[in-house]
Amino acid sequence: MASKAMPSALKFDLIAKCSVTKARASTLHLPHGPVSLPIFMPVATQASLKGLTPEQLEETSCRLCLNNTYHLGLKPGQATLDAIGGAHKLQSWPHNILTDSGGFQMVSLLRLAKVTEEGVRFLSPHDGTPMLLTPEHSISLQNSIGSDIIMQLDDVIATTSPDLARMEEAMKRSVRWLDRCIEAHKYPERQNLFCIIQGGLNLDLRRECCKEMVARDTPGIAIGGLSGGEEKYAYCRVVDTCTDLLPEKKPRYVMGVGYPEDLVVSVALGADMFDCVWPTRTARFGNAITSTGTLNLRNSAYADDFGPVEEGCGCICCRPVAEGGLGITRAYVYHVAAKETAGAHLLTMHNVYYQLNLMRQIRTAVVEDRYPDFVKEFFAQLYPSKDKFPGWAVTAMKGVGVDLLE
Amino acid sequence: MANIDSEKLSQLPCEMLSFNILKAPAEIGPRLGKFALPNRRVISTPHYVGISSRGVVPHLSPDMLKKRTNIDAVYFGLEDFTERLPIRTPPLYNVPTSEAYASKLKSFTVLPDDRISILGPRRIPAVETPKSNTKNGVSIHTSVGFAELNVRDYVTAMQILSPDIIIGLADVPQGDKPSSKRADKMDDRTCVWTRDMIVAEAEREVPADTPRPQIFAPILPTPIELQMFYMDHLVEDDMLKHISGLAIYNASNTPDLPYQLLHLPRLAMTEPSSPRKLLYDISLGTDLFTIPFTTAASDAGIALSFSFPATSPSPSSSTPLPLGIDMWSPTHATSLTPLSENCTCHTCTSHHRAYVQHLLSAKEMLGWVLLQIHNHAVLDRFFSGVRASIANGTFDEDRLAFEKLYEDELPAKTGLGPRVRGYQYRSERAGESKRNPSAFRMLDDGGEKLEEAQVEEGAVPSPGVDERELEEKGFAKPV
Repeated sequence: MASKAMPSALKFDLIAKCSVTKARASTLHLPHGPVSLPIFMPVATQASLKGLTPEQLEETSCRLCLNNTYHLGLKPGQATLDAIGGAHKLQSWPHNILTDSGGFQMVSLLRLAKVTEEGVRFLSPHDGTPMLLTPEHSISLQNSIGSDIIMQLDDVIATTSPDLARMEEAMKRSVRWLDRCIEAHKYPERQNLFCIIQGGLNLDLRRECCKEMVARDTPGIAIGGLSGGEEKYAYCRVVDTCTDLLPEKKPRYVMGVGYPEDLVVSVALGADMFDCVWPTRTARFGNAITSTGTLNLRNSAYADDFGPVEEGCGCICCRPVAEGGLGITRAYVYHVAAKETAGAHLLTMHNVYYQLNLMRQIRTAVVEDRYPDFVKEFFAQLYPSKDKFPGWAVTAMKGVGVDLLE
Repeated sequence: MANIDSEKLSQLPCEMLSFNILKAPAEIGPRLGKFALPNRRVISTPHYVGISSRGVVPHLSPDMLKKRTNIDAVYFGLEDFTERLPIRTPPLYNVPTSEAYASKLKSFTVLPDDRISILGPRRIPAVETPKSNTKNGVSIHTSVGFAELNVRDYVTAMQILSPDIIIGLADVPQGDKPSSKRADKMDDRTCVWTRDMIVAEAEREVPADTPRPQIFAPILPTPIELQMFYMDHLVEDDMLKHISGLAIYNASNTPDLPYQLLHLPRLAMTEPSSPRKLLYDISLGTDLFTIPFTTAASDAGIALSFSFPATSPSPSSSTPLPLGIDMWSPTHATSLTPLSENCTCHTCTSHHRAYVQHLLSAKEMLGWVLLQIHNHAVLDRFFSGVRASIANGTFDEDRLAFEKLYEDELPAKTGLGPRVRGYQYRSERAGESKRNPSAFRMLDDGGEKLEEAQVEEGAVPSPGVDERELEEKGFAKPV
C-alpha cells in the first residue's frame, strides 16, 4: 500500500438520501466550483464538445465535463499542455474537468494492446510506432492537463471475458497500479485522484477490489470495466454490490454509462456520477433524446414536422423565440442534419441539456424523497406499456424496494 | 459585440425599402449609403451580406450567428430547399407563421427578426450544372441532383417564402464568354423573367401594410450594350417602380448603367476572390457584397488578418503582408495570443491561437466555428474602414496603400478542410481522388503492422527502450 497520506481537493456534502432506494443527492465541491450530484458529464474528447463553444456548453448548465487523456496526450501533447498551462487554459473552460487515464482507449481503440506489469504496450494509431503507457506516465499527463478529477490507470479487460484468472490478475494489477498512481501524483492538493474498482462481472472479485481500493482512501471512487456490452442484469448486480461496500461520504462514479434508463436505475443503486459519449455521438447522427425515447430526425417523417424537438424542453433549441430560445423545429433539423455541421451542434446542445436536466429532476426527486415515484413515471413515459419495461430495470429496482410493475 | 439599439432599427412605414445615397461622386466612384427596410437593422453601405448553406451560415448555429456575429443580412439559395420539387412541396412552404404574411423563409431558418433575408435561385458559389438554362428557367443543383427551376416555381417561392429581398431570375450561362446569339437570349429571357416576377407580385392581393418582397433586378455580366432590350424595358416606369435594387453580375458594368437606375442599391453577385477584387468593385460604386472567400478562408483554416485603411508597421517594408494567417501551422501550437491583436471578436477575446491550431489539427468542428466568427468580424472592420475612408475622401489613396502593403491573394491552404458534401461540390471526371484522405484505416491493417513489429527484434518496446524516442510521440513513455 502507498505510504503517502492522500490529501483531497474536494469536499463531499451529502444532502439527502432516498428512504426506499439507495439514491443520494449531494454537492461535490471541486477546485473549479461546486457541482450537484447525481451528475451526468458530457465528453469533450479532444478539449472540445463536438462543435460547441465552451460558452454554449456552459449554457446547457454543464459545470463538469470530460477530456480524454489518451487524445490530449497525442494532440496537442504533453509538452504543449505544459507550455500552455493545462487543459482549462487550452479550451478557456472556467469550470471543472475530469480526465480518464487513457487505459480505456487501450481496449476500445486498440485491439492490439498488450498489458504487462509495467504498463500497456501498444502501437501508435497514427504511425504504428510501438508505445508504452505506464501508471506513472498517465498520472504525469493528467498532472499536465490539470483536470480537477484524475483517474488511475487500470487494467481494463472486457467484462465479457470468460477467463477468470485473467480477470483476477487484472483486478489485482489495478490495485497495484493505484499504489503507483498515488505515488506518482504530484498535485493531490489540487487534483483529485479516483481509484477504479475492477473485477469484471465476478462479484467476489469486485468485493475484494472494493476492500483493497477503499483502504487506499482516494477522494472518490469509480466503478470501471462496465458498459462493455455485458448483460444489463449483470451490470446492475455489480453496481449494487459495489455501492454496498463503498463509504457513504465519497462520490461514486460509474464509468461509461449514459442511456437515460441506465442513469435512472444506477442512481437508485447508489451511484452519483456518470459519463458517456452516446448523447453527443448520437446527436451527430441526427438523433434527439426525448422523454419518450430517441427520435431519428433524419427520418423523412419529420420533414414537415414543425413542432419543437421536444415539447416543453428548456434547451436553447427547443424554447420558443418568445422565451429567448431559437424555436428550432424538427423539420429544420431534418433539413440540416448530416448536411451542415450546425445541425449537429443544435442536437448536441439539445441532447446534453436533456441529460443534465434529467439529472436535475432526479436530484430534486431524491431531495423531496419521492424517487420511487419518479422512476415509475420515467419508465411510464419512456415505454408505451408496462410489459415493455426492460426486465433488467424491473429486477434491479425490485432489488432496491421498488416494484415498477405494481 | 452586437450592440444594436432600437434606433438602429428602421422605423419606416411598411412596404418600403429606402436607400439613401449619402455620398457619391459625380462620375463613377465609391459611394456611401444607408440601406433600410422596416423593422430590420439599417445597413450602412458598402457592406457585406452573409452567405448561407442549407439555411445556415456554415459552421454557425443560429444562436452563434445572433450572439457572436454582426451579420445584418443573410443570402439564401432556393436550390438548398427545393430538392423535392415538383413531386412534393418543399417542407418550408408549409411552415406555420404567427402572422399570415410573415416570412416562412426566416421562420424556418430561425433568422432573427431584425436581420434581412435575401433569396436567390442558386447557392453562392453555385455548382456548375451539366445542362444549360432554358427559356423556362435556370438549371440548378439540389442535394439530390440536377434539376430545372422554372420562373413559375421561382415566383411561387417568392410569394410563399416572403424574403425581405428577392434576386430576380437571370439567365447567366456558365463557362466561357457567351456568343452574341447566346447574349441575345440572355437579354430576352432575363427581361421576360424579371417582368413575370414583377407582374405576378403586382397582381397579388395582400392586405395593406403587408411587407412585400423587394425585387432586385439582375444586371447580366455581358456588356450593357448587349442587354439593351432588357435595359429599355427596365427603365420604363411600369417596371422601374417595382424594382428596389440591382443584382450586379459584373461590376465593370456599373459605369454604363442607365441613369434611371443609379439611385438603386447595387448588390454584387460577382464573387470577389480577394480583398483586392472587393476594393475594385467598391471603387465602381457597388453597395452590398456576397463574399464567398470568407467561409472559404475559414474552411481552409485561415484567419483573415487584413485591415482597411492598411495600418502598416513599417511602410518601407518591401515584402507584402499576407492577408491571412494559416492556423494549421504548428508555430501557433503554444501561442496564447489572439488571432489578431486588438480584435474584439468572440474568438479573439475568449480563445487563443494555440486552441484554434489544436482544434484544426484534431479536426474538431469548433476550429472552423471560431475561425468563421473571427473572419466575419474582420470583414465588419474592413467595411467600416472602407466607409470611413470614403467619407474622408481618401479611398483611392487608401486602396493603393492597401494593395501595396498586402499580397494579392489569400494564403494557400495547407491543412484539410471540413468534410465536403455532395450539394457543395460536383466531381468533374471519373476516378477522381478524394478531397480529404480517409481518416481511418481498418484495424487489421494495424494487425499486420504489429506482426511485422514483433518479427523485428525489439520493435515492441521493453522497459529499457530509448525514452526520448517514445516521449517525442507525446502520449506514452517508459518512466
